[in-house]
Amino acid sequence: MNRITVETLLQDLASRGLNGEKISEQQIKVFASKDNFVNHLHYLQTIGFEHLANINGVDYIAENEFEVVYQVYSYEHKIHIVFKVRIPREKPVILTVVTLWEQAQFYEQEVHEFYGIYFEGNKDLSHLFLENWNDLPPLRKDFNTEEFSEKLFGSKRHGGGK
Amino acid sequence: MFNINSLEQQDNQDKLWDKVINYFRKRSLWMLHYCTGCGAMELPPVMTSRWDMERFGIGPMATPRQADILLITGYSSVRTMKRIIRTYEQMPEPKWVLAFGSCTVNGGMYWDSYNVINNLGEYIPVDITIAGCMPRPEAILDSMLKLMDMIQAGEAKAFRKYKENYAYYKANQDRLFMERGPVLESAALRYVHEETEGGEA
Repeated sequence: MNRITVETLLQDLASRGLNGEKISEQQIKVFASKDNFVNHLHYLQTIGFEHLANINGVDYIAENEFEVVYQVYSYEHKIHIVFKVRIPREKPVILTVVTLWEQAQFYEQEVHEFYGIYFEGNKDLSHLFLENWNDLPPLRKDFNTEEFSEKLFGSKRHGGGK
Repeated sequence: MFNINSLEQQDNQDKLWDKVINYFRKRSLWMLHYCTGCGAMELPPVMTSRWDMERFGIGPMATPRQADILLITGYSSVRTMKRIIRTYEQMPEPKWVLAFGSCTVNGGMYWDSYNVINNLGEYIPVDITIAGCMPRPEAILDSMLKLMDMIQAGEAKAFRKYKENYAYYKANQDRLFMERGPVLESAALRYVHEETEGGEA
């Protein structure tokens, strides 16, 4: 396969209806909608982007949206794609990509644990890190971590001093 | 016959024996270090040639069942707390706990974290806390010498506190580990997904 450059990749993706931006010579970011992003990821996988490095969640509370970010990399083309999908905050449901990359299992579990984003089709969304957790997922912006610590661990501002 | 004089004699003899036992005890301490938080990096210089804690008879130990000192560094999350308590309860008496770093005193820089306990002394009894972020190796050695003095004087008795006030420690531990409802009211905002069986019609 011919080596793809950032410019040709962006053109290719634009012809498939994906908006993208160049970040650097080896990095682009792409914005996809939640309805067909799995198809796009599958296409990227077929043209050589075989490595899913991470899945992150971002809480844009002012815009009332969550963002799920897939970090996809190609060893062949040496290009890193930051693949962003926005979902509404009231109904944070997104399709799973475990069918494409097996390692997504743990990333999705983690994002589910810390943002409450539900990955449809993922069979096991149990907690990895938190123990005995019944509260709002802790990395959501509307979770008051100081109040939580005060009530459960008895924390005090400035260590109890003035 | 009840003889108060012989009892007193026995008492004095016990005290003398305690002194002798304590003297040998303080010169042969095995330390188990539980370093899942930060600060483990300060221990190699303490153990190796630069500060060399072995000249005081203190050595590292691999298992809790053979250790005398439990040194806990840095922050401990709820998850590690469970392991710390299990480790502590496995150690045979007499046992001593050194809490290392500011995080074990009041949470340090993680005081308002959702997953880090604030005061280690609420969950297991602590003999000496070493403040600082990080404490220098000198501070660790200083705390160990202090612990040796306390052992000789018979003052390092936190492990007895654990037995005497077990209800207090157990209540604090249960607050973390037992099934509980949500702590904050905001938990009502959680999104609960309802699986739609059979897919779309």
